[in-house]
Amino acid sequence: MQLDFQSRELTVKLVYYGPALSGKTTNLQAIHRLLLTEGRGRLMTLETRDDRTLFFDLLPLSFSTASGLTVRIKLFTVPGQVIHNSTRKLVLQGADGVAFIADSQTHEIRANQASFKDLRRNLRENGIDPSKMPLVIQYNKRDLPNIRSEEDIKRMAAMGKEPTFMATATHGNGVLETFLGLVNETWSHLEKEHALKERFGLEASDVVNDLRTRFGAPAKPAGS
Amino acid sequence: MNDPSTADLYHGEIANLEDLIDRESLREVCRSFFDLFGLSIRVFSARGALLANVHEERSICRYVNSLPDGRVACAQTVGQVQVIVPNAKEGTVVHPCFTGAIYHVVPIVYDDRQLGRIVLGPFLPAEIKEPPESLLRVDSKIEKERASLALRDMPRVRKETAERIAAHLRGVLDLILFSGHRAHLTSAMHLATVRESYRELAEKNARLQDAFDKLKELDRLKSNFLATVSHELRTPLTSIIGYSEMLQAGIAGDLSEEQSSFVETIRSKGELLLSLISSLLDLNKLERGQLSVELEQVDPRAVLAEVKETYVPEAEKKKIRIDVQCDDTVPYLQADPVRLRQILMNLAGNAVKFTQAEGTVVLRAVLTEIAPRSEDDDDDGVGAALLMTPEPAIEFSVRDTGIGIAGDQLEKIFDAFYQVDGGSTREYGGAGLGLAIAKSLTEAHHGIIRVESRLGIGTTFAVTIPQMPPDPE
Repeated sequence: MQLDFQSRELTVKLVYYGPALSGKTTNLQAIHRLLLTEGRGRLMTLETRDDRTLFFDLLPLSFSTASGLTVRIKLFTVPGQVIHNSTRKLVLQGADGVAFIADSQTHEIRANQASFKDLRRNLRENGIDPSKMPLVIQYNKRDLPNIRSEEDIKRMAAMGKEPTFMATATHGNGVLETFLGLVNETWSHLEKEHALKERFGLEASDVVNDLRTRFGAPAKPAGS
Repeated sequence: MNDPSTADLYHGEIANLEDLIDRESLREVCRSFFDLFGLSIRVFSARGALLANVHEERSICRYVNSLPDGRVACAQTVGQVQVIVPNAKEGTVVHPCFTGAIYHVVPIVYDDRQLGRIVLGPFLPAEIKEPPESLLRVDSKIEKERASLALRDMPRVRKETAERIAAHLRGVLDLILFSGHRAHLTSAMHLATVRESYRELAEKNARLQDAFDKLKELDRLKSNFLATVSHELRTPLTSIIGYSEMLQAGIAGDLSEEQSSFVETIRSKGELLLSLISSLLDLNKLERGQLSVELEQVDPRAVLAEVKETYVPEAEKKKIRIDVQCDDTVPYLQADPVRLRQILMNLAGNAVKFTQAEGTVVLRAVLTEIAPRSEDDDDDGVGAALLMTPEPAIEFSVRDTGIGIAGDQLEKIFDAFYQVDGGSTREYGGAGLGLAIAKSLTEAHHGIIRVESRLGIGTTFAVTIPQMPPDPE
């Protein structure tokens, strides 16, 4: 997080992590598409010829809150392919929250696990305790056959503490919920560390509601 | 704390207009706007650097600048325009000139960051028809008619048109900035990734080097240990052999036949042990590169005869014939006679050892050629036409009709301590050092050693040594 008191500006970095081809870029594209024009930056993708993310994607969002604070959100994706580990580690640096995009297909279970372990290792190598990193998990590709059942996932999710979402990013389903869930987690965490409410009178629910209206959705209490 | 540029990289931010645009391209864009709309354009970065400047001096400016007070006033106006920094939120600032013309100063905002400004103008607002008072008062020498005439070639633009032009230019700039931002981030990330990979590799290398150093140290300790132990073993052994010989010679009184035969066994086994220990010491020296060869003229016939002589008693016992083939045309060679003999003794010893009754061992020397060994492994044969000229060499071979060696074992037989199968050690004895030593000694002579073998048919070892050692490089 970067806080510029002079210009009353807060920059938050959120990273979409996950195995290769799990739909990280598709999530960002959907957010970009769903967002009303105001405050929406250009989606920057750095990809190879075969549409695989080479370095990262970057979607900048920015909005002014009623309290006069400008909130800038930088959404990044990491390249999922195993060989790009150095890049993943670099993109992860300075992250305030992570959305882990898992592939729901049963044959991707191991790839999901390997990527999650990779995330934990890279966080540790960056000097961050993985348990302290705001995290949400998205099970993507719910429209495909041979996927883990929702009951299964919910049962497993109940054993952990991260909010877990179902999504079909190609249709934009569940993308917004994941994003807002991540903002909520991240803001609550930053609030504790930086007393944002005290300083700017902003709570996680305010930010999430504010964002929600920018996606043309009616405001409602935050929560997963 | 991270330095600002690193933090910018983490957030994908850019701080300077200068980092994002190619000045020449920016100038081209401004030039095409100028050609299209006739408006002068200057682009400044947030730091105040003039990145593009496309303008034409207007008649009125030329006229005003020809007058002393006019020149001062013009410089003042231009100075003021240059330091105007429009606020990103409030947008365009309009600055008037005393000529009645105006400047539009437009902020360049990208990703919420104010990176610089565009200065459009001067141009005349469409509604101004006559030279204003401020122009006529600027210098006492100014002539209204002339000023009026000069003002005519100043472009006239309506306010809305000027705003549209500015918006259009900003839109084009925004695209250029986006592309520049993308390229900038890509290269910054690429560099950082390379640096990170390099760091990881360097760490790994350091660990490997560490392990390698430890192994090398262990190897050195092993060699030292071997040298010490061999030396310590040899001393008492020499005494054992010496005293056995004295006993045999009857110095301590006559021995019965049985006693004599026992003492002979002690002595011969002692000699065997001594030669084993010597091999160990030799190998150790060879491994440490301490063994040197003393070159002199050597007669191959003499060497072969000597080798044959040594093994004849054993061969006769086993009913094996030893033949020497070396005609008079085979020339002398430069070699270390002791070491050359050692090589051939090892090979001949093996041949006799592994050949059964009624077999034959042939010791042979012929004149041949040898291609020089490449000193450099990675020269890919560069200059082969010059360097690979074959030289005269002597090939010594030892052929037997023994048990033979299986194909998959052939590569390993020159490794120290290796024996074709564990069982043969017990059956035939030896420490598995002979061939390793023979190979090292051959290489010390810049030669090569080869082996050909067929199971049950026999084995041929061939050692090719250049007749003259190569010049030192």
